[in-house]
Amino acid sequence: MAERRSLPRTIRGGRPVFFADPAVDKVIAMMLHLSSEVWALRERLAALEAIGRGRGVVLEGEVDRHSFSAEDAARLEAQRREFIDGLFRVLKADLPPAAASKPEPASAGLRLVKSRRSPAQAKAAKVRAKAASRRPKARKR
Amino acid sequence: MLELQHGLKLDKTLDEKARQNFVSGLRAYILNDMATDMRTAYEADVRPRFERQHGRSPRDGAEVHAAIRNHDHFKFYSSLRVTAQDMVWQTVLPVVDRERDALAERAGNLAKQRPEVKLELDPALAVPRSVSAIDVHLMPGNYDREHGPDDLSAGAVYDNGLAVFSFGLMGQNLDDIGQSISRFVRAKYPGFEPRRILDLGCTIGHNTGSWKDTYPQADVTGIDVAAPCLRYGAARARAQGRAVSFRQMNAESLAYPDASFDLVFSSMFLHEIPRKGIAKVLAEAHRVLKPGGLMLHMELPPNSQMSAYDAFYLDWDSYYNNEPYYKPFRDQRPEALCKAAGFDPKKYVQFVVPSVGWYGENVFERALAAETEVDSDKTGRLADGIQWFCFGAWK
Repeated sequence: MAERRSLPRTIRGGRPVFFADPAVDKVIAMMLHLSSEVWALRERLAALEAIGRGRGVVLEGEVDRHSFSAEDAARLEAQRREFIDGLFRVLKADLPPAAASKPEPASAGLRLVKSRRSPAQAKAAKVRAKAASRRPKARKR
Repeated sequence: MLELQHGLKLDKTLDEKARQNFVSGLRAYILNDMATDMRTAYEADVRPRFERQHGRSPRDGAEVHAAIRNHDHFKFYSSLRVTAQDMVWQTVLPVVDRERDALAERAGNLAKQRPEVKLELDPALAVPRSVSAIDVHLMPGNYDREHGPDDLSAGAVYDNGLAVFSFGLMGQNLDDIGQSISRFVRAKYPGFEPRRILDLGCTIGHNTGSWKDTYPQADVTGIDVAAPCLRYGAARARAQGRAVSFRQMNAESLAYPDASFDLVFSSMFLHEIPRKGIAKVLAEAHRVLKPGGLMLHMELPPNSQMSAYDAFYLDWDSYYNNEPYYKPFRDQRPEALCKAAGFDPKKYVQFVVPSVGWYGENVFERALAAETEVDSDKTGRLADGIQWFCFGAWK
């Protein structure tokens, strides 16, 4: 292997789903990602406050009055984009790889999924079919 | 979150550390609080309903699984646990991706400084499909995939991921299994002085080095099929100053002559390979052991020695954590496996070894008094109270 590639971020075979509607599993993943980012912010704020206190700087008030420089704003913009990408990463797992990026090799030997659909997609289709078969036909009262 | 203490520790930003802290804390909550709630829901709701329907309790883990899988506690526990497992790797992958060139450079320097740690790779080795075809533990890329020349990133992902995953319960350098078991063996068999020790399926050698610590005079070698893990493992051993060796080799077909080792060990390895492979590994262990030598495998305890609920609880990983061979392995009886590999049933051994990191050094006296009984959700699990199950046989 001569070429250096980025490390893959997705799991071959997809991830299991537990709720009748696989969207619930995805919402849980989003919520936990968000929680993780909120926690990272708390630690960062705690660090800033501690540094500020160490230097005799009281940040209250000043923070609310602050406006970002163009440079800072651009950096935040990029970070916000990264943040949002992370939040919705779970929705990309079911999509075929973008034409520009190299596809993950399929798990040829041990097929965890028989169809070309991911387990989440397969389950969603099953749930839809079941719901459709159960749906009572319109009746006249 | 556990911070690795060895020389391959990666530089992380405050945010990266905070995310890893969060995932460690999340996993601790899921595996302690939510697992307890799920068991409570089982006892209060699922089991009584099953008993009303069937006139008896669930017989095994599969019946518990079928009965509980529609319960909300199971769904939330499972969905959160899968997500947290994915997050373990997602908090580590960007760090390794950014740092891996610097890491490779450090590894190169360490190789020059510590040439006594030998690394022998075999590019012609066919990596078995049980490794090459799936992402075990939901770890993207698994142990073996290479992402550039002389790549060691899979080893770095595993080491750093395990640090987040274990939330401190596998030892400061993830070597609690090796430290606990090697010291237990030394305490239990004071006359046993292994000179040549082989660690099968060693990945990054995190437990291999413990045998060198416990038996400094021994020649210790770790083998694995995954080159990126071995490259990283050699660098890790060099950084830790442990003179052990690594060879790329399949444990099902060892390139060693008969009767060449005093101790053949593995940890958390057998449950990662298919049943046929397990039989071959044990037969090979028997072949390469000297008469009077010891084979010892640290593993998850067998289903035959657990309650139906505990069996279900451990089998969860087989269904949902990309561990397809975990349940099939645990459905077998370790005594029978050893016998089939050629070991005398009278020389079968089985221990539940308390964690040195958890209980402290003086724990072995108590453990030596009470060996072999396994029936607890705390056995070999990341719950409160850590013990490691192992089995094997003397040749």
